[in-house]
Amino acid sequence: MYACLHQPLPAEDAGTRLELLELALEFSPLVELAAPATVVFSIVPLRRKFGSPRQIACLLARRQKEQGLHAQLAIAPNPDTAILLAQHASAQHSGEGIVADPGTEALHLAALPLAVLLPKDRPAFSAMLPLLESWGLETCGDLARLPESGIVERLGTVGLTLRRLAAGQVRRPLRVRPLESPYEEHRELEHALDCLEPLLFLVSAVLSTFCERLRSQGRAARRLELELSLENKQSCCRSLEFPVPLEHNRAMLKLLQLELDRHPAPAAVMAFTLRIQPSAPRVAQHGLFLPPTPAPDKLHLTLARIAGIVGTANVGTPELLNTHRSDAFRLVAPAEEEARQERVDDHPGSQLHLTLRLFRPALPAQVRLRKEIPEHVIASAVEGNVLRASGPWKTSGEWWSATGWTHEEWDIAVENGAAYCLIYQRRARQWFLQGIYD
Amino acid sequence: MARPLAEFSSLLRTGSSLAEQQEEALFPPLAVPALAPLLKNLPRGGIVELTGPRSSGRMAVLLHVLAQATGRGEVCAVLDTHDQFSPASAASAGVRLQRVVWVRCQNRPDYTLRAADLLLHAGGFGVVALDLPEVTAETWNRIPISWWHRFRRAVEHTPTIVLLCVETTQARACSRVSLELESRSFEWEGATSFALLHRLQTLGRLRKPVAPRATPLSILAVR
Repeated sequence: MYACLHQPLPAEDAGTRLELLELALEFSPLVELAAPATVVFSIVPLRRKFGSPRQIACLLARRQKEQGLHAQLAIAPNPDTAILLAQHASAQHSGEGIVADPGTEALHLAALPLAVLLPKDRPAFSAMLPLLESWGLETCGDLARLPESGIVERLGTVGLTLRRLAAGQVRRPLRVRPLESPYEEHRELEHALDCLEPLLFLVSAVLSTFCERLRSQGRAARRLELELSLENKQSCCRSLEFPVPLEHNRAMLKLLQLELDRHPAPAAVMAFTLRIQPSAPRVAQHGLFLPPTPAPDKLHLTLARIAGIVGTANVGTPELLNTHRSDAFRLVAPAEEEARQERVDDHPGSQLHLTLRLFRPALPAQVRLRKEIPEHVIASAVEGNVLRASGPWKTSGEWWSATGWTHEEWDIAVENGAAYCLIYQRRARQWFLQGIYD
Repeated sequence: MARPLAEFSSLLRTGSSLAEQQEEALFPPLAVPALAPLLKNLPRGGIVELTGPRSSGRMAVLLHVLAQATGRGEVCAVLDTHDQFSPASAASAGVRLQRVVWVRCQNRPDYTLRAADLLLHAGGFGVVALDLPEVTAETWNRIPISWWHRFRRAVEHTPTIVLLCVETTQARACSRVSLELESRSFEWEGATSFALLHRLQTLGRLRKPVAPRATPLSILAVR
């Protein structure tokens, strides 16, 4: 048996809606919010304590009177019948509402007009109304009396659903959606805090509460925001965007600590507001035959710690840019584990490749030429006669932007036994050592 | 029916001997035929040193190991002390850049060691490469050897290889394998006026465990 409470008020009356929901939650933890002002819940667990459905109806009526609500109540063997009766039939009744005993659903629904079954927001249903009216059907009772097989032949599954609704025969579980909990808390401090540790101690308490709530609701945090109200009447905000949703407060707290270490508050903190943006948790099954990879949250935390040592701009996964410019790359956050797990079995090649170790920035060099070929080179990393030179290989590009280049490249073997890439920048009219072949 | 205990004595093992008998996890054989015999026992859970002067092919060997590891789906890290790692060169050597974490250590060997410590203790990496080729002897003297003991302990019984790229051997007793590379010659192809750098001939000598002979390696220049 299910009870439905419907408050015929404008949908924007959020206060009444909340009161209605709170009233329903007093009787059951599983409440379906069928419409903005309609709640349905099961009363089966209440029967042992409060008695028959009529006694429960009396109790509900009394409670809502105490709270100053005037919701229409219906009790029926299934949620849809209870909703239909509460929303449309209650005008004919008064007092304790309607109680439809099992087997009497069709009787209670019979007098309702057909239009109540055909909501306007579902075009497949509403488009059927003119057709049913052309058949001479006016009420739910008219539709329920038609044979089921004939309805299916003519109207398909949509027609069958309508007939079952009209007869009060639809059996379904409640569609309970988790209630959105506010993941925001404001704390005023008794004394201004100018050290990080006591502030983190307080933040940790709030964060652990949030994380417990997240876990209980099967959620995880995607973004964390800490707004600090400062002693100098200003405020500052520190936000963290996690590459993977996190569930545990320790990782979040450590990341927040690293962020506050890097960007400390400019003055003592008087109050703070902690916000978390919840999202669906990350569920991934690691492949049995794939090599182990770092846990995403642990990797993120480790990289944040390393960023604290070497700087944020110096840690990441390199990504080549779509240009012919040499050494064009950017550092991005490491890819999601799923992307990394795509196993690539192609062979790396059975040949070693000579690679270039780059000097960043390129080292200015003094080069002595002989017949326009480098003969001697002096730079901070090397000095010596050039044994062999290959070049000049002229390259240029991106003349339309500030990153444009025009230079001549030389591969040189120097008497110290190493080979270098030497470039002559035509714009600057200067030689540079770009890198070592290694 | 009772057999003498001596009959079963050959089957009896102590717990410590069983632990020793456990198969050592090894990196898959390297794809370069000349390199495979040198680094055929590339052990996981240990420090591997690549030593040699400039242009001896250390980076080429390092990138080949990274290419093979990332090709298998492993996540690797490059701790680049002197900011010399070239992503374009790595990609052309077959390294899957999306599985590489690159840390640019701003010419600070202490940053490299601290970052390596964090990465090794985080775990889950296939290869953690420490590139310290241009560190001076004075700086090395200031770096305590306890770092290498710490790294060795951190990766023990894990699938991680610490690949150390240095000019002269540094990890000493802490390394499991030490490969010394020595540049022999550069080969150029084409006429004198249009010659192209074609190949680096280098010599690989296994210092630990000691191998009787050096192996010539050929490193191809890629255009």
